[in-house]
Amino acid sequence: MNWLGLLMLRHDRAKFGAMIVAVALAVFLMQNQAAILSSILLMTASQIRDVEDANLWVTEPDVECFDQAKPVRDIALHTVRGTHGVAWAMPLLKIDTLARTRGGKLSTVCLLGVEDSSLVGLPRRMRLGNAESVRERDTVLIDPGGFSLLFPGEPPSLGKTIRIHNRTLRVVGISDASPPFTGLPLLHTSRTTAAQLNVGEERSTTFILARSKPGVDPEEVCRMVAERTRLRARTTDGFARDAMWFYGSQGVPMLFMVTIAIGLVVGAAITGQTFLMFVKENARSLAMLKVVGTTHTQLGWMMAAQAGLILFLGSCIGSGLAAAVCELVRQQPFLRGLYLPLWVAVWTCLSLAIVTGGAVVLSFRQVQRLEPASVFR
Amino acid sequence: MNPVPETPGSRSPAVRCTGVYKHFGEGEARTEVLRGVEFTGDLGKLSFIVGPSGCVKTTLISLIAGLLSPSAGIVEVFGRSTADLSTDEQTLFRRHNLGFVFQQYNLLAALTAAQNAAVPLLTAGVPRREALRRAGELLDRLGLGNRLEAHPRELSGGQQQRVALARALIHEPRLIICDEPTAALDHASGESVMSLLATAAVHPDRAVIVVTHDTRVYHFADAIAHMDDGRIVSWEGPGSRKPSSQPHPPP
Repeated sequence: MNWLGLLMLRHDRAKFGAMIVAVALAVFLMQNQAAILSSILLMTASQIRDVEDANLWVTEPDVECFDQAKPVRDIALHTVRGTHGVAWAMPLLKIDTLARTRGGKLSTVCLLGVEDSSLVGLPRRMRLGNAESVRERDTVLIDPGGFSLLFPGEPPSLGKTIRIHNRTLRVVGISDASPPFTGLPLLHTSRTTAAQLNVGEERSTTFILARSKPGVDPEEVCRMVAERTRLRARTTDGFARDAMWFYGSQGVPMLFMVTIAIGLVVGAAITGQTFLMFVKENARSLAMLKVVGTTHTQLGWMMAAQAGLILFLGSCIGSGLAAAVCELVRQQPFLRGLYLPLWVAVWTCLSLAIVTGGAVVLSFRQVQRLEPASVFR
Repeated sequence: MNPVPETPGSRSPAVRCTGVYKHFGEGEARTEVLRGVEFTGDLGKLSFIVGPSGCVKTTLISLIAGLLSPSAGIVEVFGRSTADLSTDEQTLFRRHNLGFVFQQYNLLAALTAAQNAAVPLLTAGVPRREALRRAGELLDRLGLGNRLEAHPRELSGGQQQRVALARALIHEPRLIICDEPTAALDHASGESVMSLLATAAVHPDRAVIVVTHDTRVYHFADAIAHMDDGRIVSWEGPGSRKPSSQPHPPP
């Protein structure tokens, strides 16, 4: 019987096509907006998650996210190192400062100074050059987005120079660091070099990165560190979560959610309305099926198969379109953080299926009420 | 639900309507359409219900098919009162025991001739391949062997009605109900369709009831019930009984 339903659906090409297009556009709109929102929120924690060596972050108590750079007392580093359960602890210096290039390009940059010997905090993946080259004095790694901003139109290459506070820094590598939420060029250097550029600030530690000893609960270590230093200690996951929550509670997600909701409602409404029209136009055929002994259960499954096919095809097209747009946009260095997570694709398709399913149920009630004797008229 | 078992030696009528009343609406809008109908459709017979337009012949066959419920009286099909069956039971009863031919054919435009003819088998859960094979064989016997893949819009009226006839016969029902089967056909096509129905009615365990006002095909009938003003007013044909002169009192 489901097969008959699919033949009936396919026969009405205009409505079949319209419903697929409605679902596809709704899925595309929802996934596109949801992908942007989730990518932005994930980017708020990208520099936190990029540090894979450490699993603990120690900051000033009122620091909510990575971009709230607020130096901690340098002595705190020793206190953290001396805390039970801490395997090691290293400083990370973050400075937001102005940089300019020989070509005259001027931009605020995010400069991260990692501890000179361990290099904890450096990006693991490189696009060009060797990360360890930053041990050398007055050298930096730069992220791809930063390179394209500071050296527009130039192919990625090493040896370029950047001036910060009258010091010339040489680019010795292009990192594959995750794109920062702020969109600023991201520079990595040694803490010694960074400290010399930290004009007007005596403290040379912004974050303390630490690793808990194996077998020790990191949350328990955080509690002990906080107790001893009166600073705030969080796991990587906890700090990333806090950062996403901080930005997420600023109201921007609401704007995206409104668009997503519009996509959901409009997509489901068009699909549901067209499906209802399809059912009404086929009322005589459905009445005939009831006359020849088709049960409501069979008709229900038939309609479910029809709706399922529409949702499947529409979702595939919409998801494919959304993924293709993401992939296209990702080619831009500053937008390389945009991607369509699988859970976003699944969630949007499911939510549309549920809402459209409600509309199909309403159509089915029309079929239930359909008087089979009407077929004789 | 299985087809109604045949009782050996039993020749009780396939359809018996006793004092059947039907009204629509309530209060001032109440309209009485059937007023004490007495009707019998025998097995092995082609029974006609004839009468002028508007004499609610179609309402009567809707009651016989279990698509409507009588306001009063009893409609029995193969010894079972349709009022005793739930909606679901009536649906299954129709699936196994009844075949239908409609004035407007009511073929599904999306389906080919073979697929349309196979609908009752597919509804009953027969595998698609088997259903289509049987539909093809039956359509071949009805002279449409070369039109199996044609859609209704590609068929003439007579061909469409033969496909509808195949749909009515394919599951070998014991009662076939036809509503004006020749009304939309020319004389030759009407004769052809009625010949096929008459052949189907020859089966001793099958009854065929035809509602029509097409006088050109009356000669096919084994029995003719004339209907007017919501009643059977006269009968013709061998073996048919007259309606009682005093119908059951209205409810």
